[in-house]
Amino acid sequence: MIAMVDHWGYILGAWGITAVAIGGYAIAILRRGRRLAREVPPESRRWM
Amino acid sequence: MNQSTGSLGTRILGAVAAVGCVAVVIFAFGVSPADAELGESIRIMYVHVPTVTAAYMLLIANALFSGYYLWKRSDFADVAAHTTAEIGVLMLGLTLVTGSLWGRITWGTFWEWDARLTTTALLFLLYVGYLALRAATDDPRARATRAAVLGIASAFLIPIVHKSVDWWASLHQEKTLFGTADPSIDGSQLFTLMLSMAVFGVLAVWLSMHRFRVGWLSLQVDRMRVEKAIEERRSEGVAA
Amino acid sequence: MIAALTDARLIAAKDLRIEARSRIGLTHVLPFVGAVLLLFGFALDSDSGALQRATSGLFWVTVLFAAVLLVQRSFALEQADGVFDALRLSGLRPAGIYLGKVVALTLQLLVVDVVLGLGVIVFYGVSPTGIALLSVVCVVATIGIAAAGALYGPLTSGLRARDTALPLLLLPVLAPVLLGATRAFEIALGRAVGGGWAWAAMLGIFAFVELALGSVLWGPLLEES
Repeated sequence: MIAMVDHWGYILGAWGITAVAIGGYAIAILRRGRRLAREVPPESRRWM
Repeated sequence: MNQSTGSLGTRILGAVAAVGCVAVVIFAFGVSPADAELGESIRIMYVHVPTVTAAYMLLIANALFSGYYLWKRSDFADVAAHTTAEIGVLMLGLTLVTGSLWGRITWGTFWEWDARLTTTALLFLLYVGYLALRAATDDPRARATRAAVLGIASAFLIPIVHKSVDWWASLHQEKTLFGTADPSIDGSQLFTLMLSMAVFGVLAVWLSMHRFRVGWLSLQVDRMRVEKAIEERRSEGVAA
Repeated sequence: MIAALTDARLIAAKDLRIEARSRIGLTHVLPFVGAVLLLFGFALDSDSGALQRATSGLFWVTVLFAAVLLVQRSFALEQADGVFDALRLSGLRPAGIYLGKVVALTLQLLVVDVVLGLGVIVFYGVSPTGIALLSVVCVVATIGIAAAGALYGPLTSGLRARDTALPLLLLPVLAPVLLGATRAFEIALGRAVGGGWAWAAMLGIFAFVELALGSVLWGPLLEES
């Protein structure tokens, strides 16, 4: 029984860490994007 | 105007990725049965394998952008190379963490000198070095060139690292994380895996688009600062 | 092609002449190698046999550390006094300059290998067998290390963080060399079974790939640095 709980702990841990890492990175990038977009005038904002 | 790095493209991709993530969770925990050999731990595979395939996609993209930069010296290629390396490192790191947790269930230890994990660890270090070099080089031209050279050199190393570590690990006769999973994969398990790989792919592209735009904007801001500083110097000279 | 080789000989001769006059390799790197040998001896109990069992690995790890020092030195020389600019303007082929650097580094590292080998025989009580395999592996692995070092050296030269950036970049790259050379040594010393010559071939492939990469990539590097 304890072994089963352990297993689920690692399984959910793996999914959880992945979700937090990717989600956290995405949020950080989106926020940085907003901050930078405010500084750059519209004509220079085109990506290419 | 548009005060973010979003666009129609990213909104569509983002929506697809979000729906996809929900679907993957449902399939990974609800639809897919536990594996005959691996038990419930197969559910980690649905997140471990997609991170490594996404990472390799991104590293190959990095190599291509690096080569393109050396050929055409385009800012686009430089920013794209940085983007793919950064997200690639994130994916490699997640591969190591999820692989380690899977190993804890399968082998009882957090680390074995398994061929795949060891190769991933080495590649992780290689590309962390790439990011470190970019961060440490101040001159933009030198930074772009050196990073491009490093990107190409690292890409050529990937197969060599693979082969040599595979060979070395086989001497230890370590069970690989996949030795047990591949042969007996059930239909719905395979579908869940493919779905998860596709969703991670879309996620990687979505992240890359935003990160690229952040990099591009960052470049513009830096150039604006330099121009402003030059203007200030010039006006000082005129005033004096 | 021939021109590149002539340029290579020029650069190799320059580097080796500088080394002969300054003797930094002799007075800094070799004592460093000796110190590492001793430190490993302290760290691993020689009675329990750990030292003897670990000899091949310790040998190559020490070579890698010495290589980092030699590469740093090799490119610090170029960074000082604007030598890089002079090289760029000299009209020498980048591939030639690169190969010259590789030759000079290889020769210096081979001296380290020999001294270290003698040290390991004396201090760790290793009796060398399979001399042919040991020698070939030594030379091929050293060429690979020098080839990688001469490519990664300019990547970190001139950086404020140069001293920490180079090991961070170079050591993971050299992991396959460490793997292969250690395995081959174990086989040569009779402590493991397997295809020692196959490992030597893998080391050869590594050296070839690094040499090819360096010859091609030095052009853009030289322009930019």
